[in-house]
Amino acid sequence: MTVVTGVTCPVCGTFCDDIELVVKDNVITDVRNACAMGAAKFLNYSTHRNLRPLVRKNGELVEASIDEAVKRAAEILVDATYPILYGWSNTSCEAIRVGVELTEEVGGVIDNTSTVCHGPSVLSIQDVGIASCTLGQLRHRADLIFYWASNPWSAHPRHIERYTMFSEGRFQKSAWRGYLSRLGGIMSRKRLRRAANLVLRRDVFATPEVERRLPYSMFQKKRKMVVVDVRNTRTAEAADYFLQVEPNKDYELLQAFRMLIRDEELDVSEVAGVPVEILEEVADVMVGCELGILFFGVGLTMSEGKLRNVDAALNLTRDLNSHTKFLIMPMRGHFNVTGADVVFAWQTGYPYAIDFSHGYPRYNPGETSVIDILCRDEADASLIIASDPVAHFPQKAAQNLVKKPLIAIDPEVTPTTLMADVVFPSAFVGIEAHGTAYRMDHVPLPLKKIVEPPKTCLPDTEILQRILHKVRKLRREQN
Amino acid sequence: MITLYPKRLFKVPVEAECICPDVFAEKSAKEIATLQIWEGNRKRTLGDLFKIKHETDSPTEEFTIRICGDVSKVRKIGAKMSMGNIIVEGDADMHLGEEMKGGIITVTGNADSWTGSMMKNGTIEIKGNAGDYIGASYRGSTQGMSGGKIIIHGNAGYEVGCFMRKGLIKVHGDIGRFAGIHMRDGTIFIQGNSEGRAGAQMINGKIVVCGYIPSILPTFTIDDIRPKVKVNEENVEGPFYRFVGDLADGGDGKLFVSKTKNPHLSSYEEYL
Repeated sequence: MTVVTGVTCPVCGTFCDDIELVVKDNVITDVRNACAMGAAKFLNYSTHRNLRPLVRKNGELVEASIDEAVKRAAEILVDATYPILYGWSNTSCEAIRVGVELTEEVGGVIDNTSTVCHGPSVLSIQDVGIASCTLGQLRHRADLIFYWASNPWSAHPRHIERYTMFSEGRFQKSAWRGYLSRLGGIMSRKRLRRAANLVLRRDVFATPEVERRLPYSMFQKKRKMVVVDVRNTRTAEAADYFLQVEPNKDYELLQAFRMLIRDEELDVSEVAGVPVEILEEVADVMVGCELGILFFGVGLTMSEGKLRNVDAALNLTRDLNSHTKFLIMPMRGHFNVTGADVVFAWQTGYPYAIDFSHGYPRYNPGETSVIDILCRDEADASLIIASDPVAHFPQKAAQNLVKKPLIAIDPEVTPTTLMADVVFPSAFVGIEAHGTAYRMDHVPLPLKKIVEPPKTCLPDTEILQRILHKVRKLRREQN
Repeated sequence: MITLYPKRLFKVPVEAECICPDVFAEKSAKEIATLQIWEGNRKRTLGDLFKIKHETDSPTEEFTIRICGDVSKVRKIGAKMSMGNIIVEGDADMHLGEEMKGGIITVTGNADSWTGSMMKNGTIEIKGNAGDYIGASYRGSTQGMSGGKIIIHGNAGYEVGCFMRKGLIKVHGDIGRFAGIHMRDGTIFIQGNSEGRAGAQMINGKIVVCGYIPSILPTFTIDDIRPKVKVNEENVEGPFYRFVGDLADGGDGKLFVSKTKNPHLSSYEEYL
């Protein structure tokens, strides 16, 4: 039995690097420090997986040798006039680099999962610019934390504990004691209510009126957390203040904050369902903080307004910096989606939705982004790696994707691998293969190899290199 | 006059920047057939994909290119043109008349997104509907349309006139959200309804909405009620509420909204 320390967790964008794994006979038997998502992956990753490459013959997926699968995949890509290569956010930067090379070779379109999450943020950052930082800085210094349209309690479980409210920083103390006492209060109130209802047989605490004024803790000189969301989430319950915004009205709310920070008056009494007096109080707290951070999630990028919501958030941060220090950071989802953007950008100049069909990189999301290409039914082949678009893309896009030849590289059995024509079972990067990934704040960290993969499961990098090699050979023969 | 007939239905995007009067002028049909275009990642010639018919021009007529057939996957038609006419009988794909400097493009069907993006002069007339980013800028650029006229007889999509600097966009139908976002100058006239957020982050220029608009952004302030408004030498009868914004960006753009079609905006009158 060995204990491996300092393992990075290949699940969410928080990319925790303090995981400890107990390994016995090439099997992970225990996980320490990880959240439920991380522990579940480390302990159960090998439960449902393909062990052999598969090739579709007469409508059936049948087992094949790796060389046969590579040959079939290379033929599909060489014959295609407009192939798409999509996924990349759940694999290592080394594999992504080979992927860009392969796309250039076959004259295709390469896109990563940013296109369905923070793609609009990237567009806005190109328009406006971003005042950002690393998470370590926030852990030690941030005294006002905004989570806007994101729910880290469920999606990035250790984000609050490691970097914001409940982390013990050098200059800012953890706020977990305050949270526990508040939670105690809520629990006692619930217990009291249940008991009273049982005794009196009626609801004595009829739905209390929502308290909209800011609580006293918001004006204290200590770490504070504000959640802005359309619904009450677990993160919102842990926050000092929860600002409920009407669905699809984030743009109006952000722009109204910008007005208040510029000392302009609003001609309306409420914005996005929030009275202007409350907005004024929140704006005061924003201006009065020492170092504020606005984390925004997919609720902002994928609701009405998309990149313009992020435009407004970035501009708000910029405006706030004329009064205090304020920063902003997107809550990236997959553990290496930031890495996919970074590698694409240093290889091609563009972060996602890159079209190599003319031999050089071109970029125009809306035209060269995978969902738009698929909805217009323009692609004639596709390679999907470390992603499951059949399960997650809009119906029309998924239908058009499976109509054409499809190559899937994935360690797991997913709807995409079931619909594919060629399937490569790969090794789990970060567990069975090493590499590099970028945390949500653009800090590169190593992915460790903990156990040996099954002999037939190659790392993504090697599978892609073999396909690239075969593609080059076929093209040479053609010419 | 040159007439182009597509030889087959295109499935992958075709990029035909060469379909432009400046390129075709003084070339024979044979020479035109050798011009290079892209079909997906394959290099083709115009003659591979189109049947080209050359008809002698009458000396008084301007040089004209007519396209008959389905070119709904052909991009960049008339890009960078500076003279002559293009008539598309059917639908056209994205980037129609991109960066055009003069001439006239007429589309009898629909046009897709980025029509007339970064155009400097000339006229584009779409008889059907148009997509998003009409008269806008390239991604990441702040140089939108800087002159000319775009007339859309049907509906238009989102972010029409993004970063527009000069010129006129006229939409006879309805328009999507964020019309005139980041607008620096110029005029957008909307005969139909707007989905809202018109004039977001505009610095200057004029947007006229003759139909219904669900709400005005909180960053606009009411300025006046006007009986009529001037759109490119034409007077449009109102009355119109006149809003000024976008104040969050220190803008001084004018947003005219029909008073009769928007009774829900009457609460603004108390600030006058």
